[in-house]
Amino acid sequence: MTSPGHLHPSYDVSPRPLMVVEVRDLTPEVRHVVLVDPHGTALTPHEPGAHLVVTTTPSGPDSGVTKRNAYSLTGDGVLPRQYAISVLRKDAPTGFGDESGGSVWMHGLEVGDVIEVEGPRSSFAPRHDQRHCLLLAGGIGVTPVLSHARAAVRWGGSVEVLYSYRPGHAAHLDDLHALAEAPGVSLRMAVTVDETLALLRDRLADQPLGTHAYACGPPALLAAYLEAGRAAGWTDERLHLERFSAPALDPGSPFSALIVSSGRRVDVAPGTSLLVALHEAGVAVPSLCRQGVCGECVVPVRSGRLEHRDLVLSDVERRAGDRMLSCVSRGAGPDELIEVDL
Amino acid sequence: MSSAAAVEGRPLAGHTTRLPWPFPDDLDSFRYSVNVEPARVPRPTAAGEWGAHIVDLGGEEYGAMMAERRRILDADPHRVRILPGMLPACWDLLLYYLRDLAISFPHIMELSEDGDHLHWRNHALGTDQSFVLGDAASLPYDPMTFLGREIPDDLLLVKERDGRLCFDAGLVTFAAAWSVSFDVGMTMDEIHNPVPRLTKEGITSRAEQFLRRLPADQVYRRVNWTLSASGSRKLDVSLEELPAWGTDIPALVRDEEWGRLQLRIEVEHFVRLPMTGAVTFNIRTHMTSLDEIRRVPPWRDQLARVVLELPEDLATYKGFADYREPAMAWLTGEVTA
Repeated sequence: MTSPGHLHPSYDVSPRPLMVVEVRDLTPEVRHVVLVDPHGTALTPHEPGAHLVVTTTPSGPDSGVTKRNAYSLTGDGVLPRQYAISVLRKDAPTGFGDESGGSVWMHGLEVGDVIEVEGPRSSFAPRHDQRHCLLLAGGIGVTPVLSHARAAVRWGGSVEVLYSYRPGHAAHLDDLHALAEAPGVSLRMAVTVDETLALLRDRLADQPLGTHAYACGPPALLAAYLEAGRAAGWTDERLHLERFSAPALDPGSPFSALIVSSGRRVDVAPGTSLLVALHEAGVAVPSLCRQGVCGECVVPVRSGRLEHRDLVLSDVERRAGDRMLSCVSRGAGPDELIEVDL
Repeated sequence: MSSAAAVEGRPLAGHTTRLPWPFPDDLDSFRYSVNVEPARVPRPTAAGEWGAHIVDLGGEEYGAMMAERRRILDADPHRVRILPGMLPACWDLLLYYLRDLAISFPHIMELSEDGDHLHWRNHALGTDQSFVLGDAASLPYDPMTFLGREIPDDLLLVKERDGRLCFDAGLVTFAAAWSVSFDVGMTMDEIHNPVPRLTKEGITSRAEQFLRRLPADQVYRRVNWTLSASGSRKLDVSLEELPAWGTDIPALVRDEEWGRLQLRIEVEHFVRLPMTGAVTFNIRTHMTSLDEIRRVPPWRDQLARVVLELPEDLATYKGFADYREPAMAWLTGEVTA
């Protein structure tokens, strides 16, 4: 049965054309891109920390090859007239889950270009009942942090921002300074690894009761954040984070998947993901990050032991054993046969 | 099936033709399930049709229902409970519903937008209000109460805390023997524990999973039912008002006035609000008496089958285990009036 979903156009999150109205370099590597609806319609509101999924064609518009890249929105999400994202240019391929082509393509955008955008999607939202908010940004991880800070100011909350960056490469530092003029907002900066670690230890040990913390940045920074937070007595439920890349994984053991609907068996070799093996067998599973970070490619599992390697499922969900992220997780052990409910 | 063919006696009133009959045509026995379906899909019934919009204003009953809603809100401010941090979700709710209403009922409702500045007009109730989204001082009430004075739905918002969905804001004037002040802040499990079978059979957790994964681009609904705890059209059978209705049914049973028994139908709508991620669990309550149901034979026969078949624990929870047999015998018996 089909139904019209939302009646008002400002709740559309399906893939749709948006127009570039501004491009601006924030640092030598970070370009700010502002998008509007070509018809002038108000855009769909979003939670702080939400992201857009942009369809990019890094191999050229005629190649037929598209990639989908996720970029954090920097606004507060309240009745947005425009969506603003900031893209770090990654020239060197980074291997598994490589998104370098997409960022170079994004840097090639010009005012007037129309691109396909899906979302906003929310995966890094604030706790509504937080009494105070501690935000940590590392490098380009500043983008969702800026969104959180703006929303906190908009709704009258109090917020402390920690920003770790390399001098000369601090995107949105001016925006954060401007926000810090508002009552209840403070900003602290660190420009070396040692300074960052000291700042983390100091600030995580000195927050009011009821604070929730949020961090976005490179893996080493997030590891240090979790370690400092736990050492200061924080529970993991209050240490939120968003990863923009996952640690490299080993190739894993071979296993097989039985597709319940067709009875077909798909063999998955080491170094190949279930997602790719299913795709090659003609079974389409929607995917996005392909790094076990976003949760898009979850597949229902009927039987078989699993080795979960994602960063999305909770411990309870893992123990249930009834779903897996097909991009990274595998059958547990050599020659395990799992039944996937597809 | 044409509605005329289903009717005996006097012509059916607007109320009956709009009624969201809670059972599928082929249903003979009722058990709780996660019976959700896409919203905004019109559904024909034996007497008419319902469900084209997410809000049912109630036709000629709209004014009276809203007068009752406003009277209760004025008399008892505790019917609105908004926990800390939920005001943005209440603005999200208000904006979504005003936009939807203006599109669904353009002949009586209008919303104009200029950035954060909005202007709402409801010609049926005479509301004319300009306000700024997020500015509490620009509305005469909090945003949830403002909406609750415009539409007959009870408004409930659930939001995730530590992996559990929690009922953290609500405006409820028409509760069926529960209290918003008692339930606010509870998890879905805590709220539904009193319902037999629901949690033990995993229905609560499946319903919670459904709401947690509710897609951003779809709106869903669910229909629930019981026999009302009052022998009148009174919608407010909340725990707060227990002294006012608690003796209704014993008196009705004593006097065997079965025609006054009310089938209470609740249509719930689930929307994921995009600005805050809060999910609505809004409830619109409808009432119809056995007297009215008796005039629509497919309804009459189906209700009797379902009520009589219901296992004892569910009938006890719904409150009619003691009198369902004489009531249903009256419903399906010879009409002697």
